[in-house]
Amino acid sequence: MANFMQNSVVNYACTCGLLNPITKLFFCRHCLKLRCGFCVCHEVDSHFCSNCLENIPSSEAKHKKNCCTNCFNCPCCQHTLSARATMVVVPKKTDETTKEGEGDSAKAVTRKMYYLSCLGCRWTSRDVGIPDQTVATGAWPENECSYQTRFNALLEYYQAVVLQDKQEKQEYIRRKTPKTHKFPSLTDRTGLTVSMIRRQIGWPDKNTQKAKPVNISPSLATDELDELPADIFTQPINLRNVTNIKQRHGQPSDQPFNVNKLYPQRRILWIKRSLRCRQCEHNVIKPEYHPTSVKYRIQLFANYHVPDVLLVQNEQILRAGQSSYIVLKLTNPTLHDVSITIKELPTLAEELQMIEEFKLACKIKENTATSAAAESLKSITSSPSLTSTTLSRQASLIEEPRLVEQKSNVKLHENELKFVLNQRDDSSEFDEDVQTPREEPEFIIWRKSNRASIRLNFTTDESLQAGDMVKVGFTMEYTYVNTVSNTPTTHTLSARVFIDAGKIADE
Amino acid sequence: MPLYETVMQEKPPVVLDIGTAYTKLGFAAEAYPRKIIPSEVILSSNGQTKALLQYETISGLYDQFVDFLQMIFFKHLLVIPKERKIVIVENVFGQTVLRETLARVLFRHFEVSSIMFVPLHMSALATLAVPSGVVVDIGYTETTVMPVYSRVQIMQAFQDQAYGGRAIHAEIKRQLLEEGVNEKHLTDAILEDIKVRTCFVTNLERAKAYRNGQTPEAPPSLEYPINGQEIITIPGKLRETVFEIMFEENNDRDSLPHLILRAIIKSPVDVRRSLIESIFIVGGSAIIMGLLSRLRAEMQYLVEKDEEYKNKLCGDIKFKFHKTIGRENFTAWLGGSLCGGTDLIQTHSLTKEAYVKNDRVPDWINLTDKRSTG
Repeated sequence: MANFMQNSVVNYACTCGLLNPITKLFFCRHCLKLRCGFCVCHEVDSHFCSNCLENIPSSEAKHKKNCCTNCFNCPCCQHTLSARATMVVVPKKTDETTKEGEGDSAKAVTRKMYYLSCLGCRWTSRDVGIPDQTVATGAWPENECSYQTRFNALLEYYQAVVLQDKQEKQEYIRRKTPKTHKFPSLTDRTGLTVSMIRRQIGWPDKNTQKAKPVNISPSLATDELDELPADIFTQPINLRNVTNIKQRHGQPSDQPFNVNKLYPQRRILWIKRSLRCRQCEHNVIKPEYHPTSVKYRIQLFANYHVPDVLLVQNEQILRAGQSSYIVLKLTNPTLHDVSITIKELPTLAEELQMIEEFKLACKIKENTATSAAAESLKSITSSPSLTSTTLSRQASLIEEPRLVEQKSNVKLHENELKFVLNQRDDSSEFDEDVQTPREEPEFIIWRKSNRASIRLNFTTDESLQAGDMVKVGFTMEYTYVNTVSNTPTTHTLSARVFIDAGKIADE
Repeated sequence: MPLYETVMQEKPPVVLDIGTAYTKLGFAAEAYPRKIIPSEVILSSNGQTKALLQYETISGLYDQFVDFLQMIFFKHLLVIPKERKIVIVENVFGQTVLRETLARVLFRHFEVSSIMFVPLHMSALATLAVPSGVVVDIGYTETTVMPVYSRVQIMQAFQDQAYGGRAIHAEIKRQLLEEGVNEKHLTDAILEDIKVRTCFVTNLERAKAYRNGQTPEAPPSLEYPINGQEIITIPGKLRETVFEIMFEENNDRDSLPHLILRAIIKSPVDVRRSLIESIFIVGGSAIIMGLLSRLRAEMQYLVEKDEEYKNKLCGDIKFKFHKTIGRENFTAWLGGSLCGGTDLIQTHSLTKEAYVKNDRVPDWINLTDKRSTG
């Protein structure tokens, strides 16, 4: 957490193989695995307008084309428009003015009228001739699409064509497939079919509800094209009146060339996302419903569950092939004591095996899920066709786990560093610092409540050049107490941590 | 996901037209795209902005598509991609690797339920409700010409050349550098702005005069401010001559009118007449003022004067052009939207199950995909 906007020097490898700082990682409490933004399933939780902070239900948002009804953006500079009020003198209605004897001032009434104005570029809705409105919100004219009717006609036409095609195909299949009755029917032998009899009697065919072909007037090609206006060769153009490409794309239906065709654009909604673990389908992040709230209902951020590693100092100048050390501070965020073991990273073969196991686990889980679903369905419906469709529906693809791109280029001196971090206790912050003498391993430099600093010795690779980044990588095994189930169970989990220790010094 | 949401509510398919310069995105059965955004991706790994279709490795391309689609779904369309149907308007001669990677991203990462690939030229023609025509797509990197007869693409008559928006930008840059404008000002965004706001396609007489070395009186020059730092002068000659690279006369005979005429001539004899009378120009670079009338004049001129075309196209030749509904830059998208609005999306899509089985996208060029069974 030392770096807010910059790249972090301490990165954790996610289960999917991507590197992220711990602040960007999640921890699935059900799979007990690290997850990152790449390997969770994103879902739209709620829609809201970022300007008026109004929550908009998803069905309404869909209906309104994901736009806020009240807020507008400037078509020129995409800034938010604000409604301004002016006092306008409106002449009184005729029946009232007929009343004689009152002063001239009573003949006119002042009314509050509103127009939209951009505080960024001083564009106003009056510039394009939109009349002022009596209410600030809700009454602004909709910008309609000029060819909507033609488009609807085209859509209707194609829908009818496809439907007709489908019906003809079905009819063809019906006629082609021989009827397989258990018992030979009389009409089969005599060559009399129902439709034949109907025709003989003079009744109309049974299935006459064929889709009527919809007629559409095809587009007419013309050789009379708009010639260039003659004054283009003589009149200078005013750049201020010509829209730029961003303004055109802001209004995709007509994309005007001239600025007097720009209309206020409805502001697009924002969303709150909930994140779901792809493997167990549990939520890892679920935000509060209300747009103004920044809290979460479910928040499984990794730094609430996984020990945080911080690079404290690197005193020595790093040189290729020489031994050096860095000091790390580890923090236990959980309410249970954690025993930590720091080891070498897995080798390539081990990593590949981990990926294989991961894939296998996904497959097994899926199979059990599908077979369980099939079983339950079979018991309900006892129809094999239904179960087969559910089976095929369940067929899902998973994101391929990857190898970690970054490689460590140091060799750790110790094979294993083992120590225990105490539980987090917020009250201990205020306690007096009582140093209880206890047997500490020599690599622990400092310790206070749930934090400890350790010294990590390593030798950098011979092959490193001056200016190369020294990457210290290790596997951190830690115990995790799972409190999801009724009886807390302790698991040993591991995370791969990569630290940028600094650059090799120039000779 | 709740059951009622999947069953009761119809989720409109998402229609994407990913171009080299701009991506058009929206929902099926809507008359215009929701957004037209630059095909640029901000990489989540290092925060850099990068052109979407430029890539070094396949996995890099995969990550770029993931970041790009993530932005489309959660910032612009605000829908959950999971279990949704997608329509993609694609170039018939596009790179296989782009197509495969896109499908992999959509199926694996976003778990969409099906993808329908719609050929660009066919979908553009669908917006007219006519069965035949020559569809000319003038895009950013290339111009392609595909004759279509009775809704069948005549593949052997397909033509393409590498001029489009990018070549125009290069030409503007070249001419401005000749004028002595500082190169550091001429970014792609500025060049594009100059192109869309000041340039036009001149008429045939004036173009001929320029070709013969005469200099007709140029249209007025223009003072163009750059980011409030400097003001450059855009000469009137530049404004009317940058698009001449599409009409350049040379021995290759590959200018735009030649390209269209050659596509018509390569088509079978009996369909040529209907093609001549139904020419349809689409693509972002086709919006420019004066393009259609110039093209018509050039083609009429060539048919009357050029030996090759005179011999092959006989009788009273009148080139006729269709007008797009909406602007030219999203015509192909509109066709995809029409397609996605019909039942074809149920029957002609590549479903997830089919993709799982084969782990590849069927392609028209692949003979094994053409077998009707198995």
